[in-house]
Amino acid sequence: MSEHDPSTATIDRDLAAIEDALANGVAVHPNPSARELQELALALRADAPEPEPEFAGELRTRVEAGFPPAPGSLGAARASLRERLRPGRLRRALPAMGVIALILVPLVLVVSLAGSPEEGDGGGGGGGGAGSVAPEAAQDSGGRAIAPAPSSGGVAPGQSNRKIERSIGLELEAPVDELQRVADQITSVTNRHGGFVLSSSLSTGDESAGGDFELRIPEDRLRPALRDLSALATVRSQSQSGRDVTREHVTARDRLQAARAERRSLLRRLEDADTDEEAEAIRTRLDLVSAEINGLRAQLRDLRLRTNYAVVTVTLLAAEDSADEGAGAAGSFDDAVGDAGDLLAATAGIIIRVLAVALPLALIGGLGWLIGAVLRRRRRESALA
Amino acid sequence: MLVRSTGVSEALVEPVALMTGAQTEGFAELYERTFPRVYAYVASLLRDRAAAEDVTAQAFERAYRKRRSYRAGRGTTEAWLFGIARNAALDELRRRKRRAGLERDHEDSGAPSPHDHAELAVRRETVRAALASLDPRERDLIALKFAGGLANAEIGRILGLSESAVGTRLHRTITKLREACHE
Repeated sequence: MSEHDPSTATIDRDLAAIEDALANGVAVHPNPSARELQELALALRADAPEPEPEFAGELRTRVEAGFPPAPGSLGAARASLRERLRPGRLRRALPAMGVIALILVPLVLVVSLAGSPEEGDGGGGGGGGAGSVAPEAAQDSGGRAIAPAPSSGGVAPGQSNRKIERSIGLELEAPVDELQRVADQITSVTNRHGGFVLSSSLSTGDESAGGDFELRIPEDRLRPALRDLSALATVRSQSQSGRDVTREHVTARDRLQAARAERRSLLRRLEDADTDEEAEAIRTRLDLVSAEINGLRAQLRDLRLRTNYAVVTVTLLAAEDSADEGAGAAGSFDDAVGDAGDLLAATAGIIIRVLAVALPLALIGGLGWLIGAVLRRRRRESALA
Repeated sequence: MLVRSTGVSEALVEPVALMTGAQTEGFAELYERTFPRVYAYVASLLRDRAAAEDVTAQAFERAYRKRRSYRAGRGTTEAWLFGIARNAALDELRRRKRRAGLERDHEDSGAPSPHDHAELAVRRETVRAALASLDPRERDLIALKFAGGLANAEIGRILGLSESAVGTRLHRTITKLREACHE
């Protein structure tokens, strides 16, 4: 009757009867068919194989010992490695790893940002936010590093006593309301290093605010003076040039010595002159030689001035958006916010790029794992086929 | 003396908290509670006592090593453990198939004791013969239910079936077994 096509009610009744029998250990269902199934269920359970006591004791010992691998076996090495990589240990190392990551990640980002070509002419962002730039690290408008002016030596190698005429150009940028202060400090720095201001001009109006300063700085104080000047405001650019005037100096000096010798000779000849005509001719010649000596002396003085003192031309520029509240010469709050924004944008860019690579890989990997799991299951189940 | 599981009610006991600090102790409790049934299930499936011992030990060791991967949301600890034991047993069956092709099963899963009552011995033999007439998947289901003592829901977890599907299959199988006993 219901054996070939049992109804749901029959199935439910029989299953409930089986569960009852398994729970109570007796087959007492009033329906003979269900009772028969109960007896069969009890017989199946009673006939289940039982383990040997020796095996049970041996396995219990291994369980209580935590399944120790045989010493020196591959399993022992794996267990040791697992112990070293235990989550607890890793968790303890997490703070240190976090600190290292916090230091390394921004460092890498900053280095990569600084190295990107579009940041080179950032116009006050990025490196500009640092405020002052020492001459050693200064960059010109093209982003190239400028070597500091050496305190001695010069263009011509091989001679330590060369006469070099140096010219330094420095562009400083400061907010409009800081221009006057920076101008005062330029003069102050120049004086402090034994130099002088040859000319200066300063305009602090909103339109064309800025200034120009022509300074003379002693050659031996050039390096510290440039460092101090660079510290006054943001360095936009720096340039330098050198001209070897040793030959001019030597020529002028030699000519001066010769002119002096000639004058001494002329003076002796003048004392010995016998006639008025002869004396007059010697005096005329003496005048010419004296004029030449004066000219050469002036030339040497000018050369000494140009080689002992470097020409430093400082151009003071008003920073863009310098009228904004809170702006400062040495890295304003706005600069910091801008830098932080740039950094965040760059970080987001990196994350998006990483995700663009990692997500498809993860999807492919997940799909592969899923297919593998299904295939593994099928292979196993094939044992029952 | 071996204490037989009390069947379905046993499977409804709260799962052992394997993820607690005293993991070894938790696993030992699980072992004490399930060892005879795991062995019975594996031996029923393999029908070879020596292989059943190896596979049972292997299953418990695997479970111990993987105990941190157990997630309560994916079923009871018993379903998880029997899943591991089943995989190990199926792997053993596959290896055996590879080794010996269609080699006959040993069928040494418990000869009748000389002290058994004659009627009981006959009954056992009848049931064993009927079991042998089932296909391996049906034997697997019977073993999970009556040797493993698992609830239908736990069997469903292991086989990837719903609880009602397990009930329907179980009814069909045990009815078939009854008919085989009558033949």
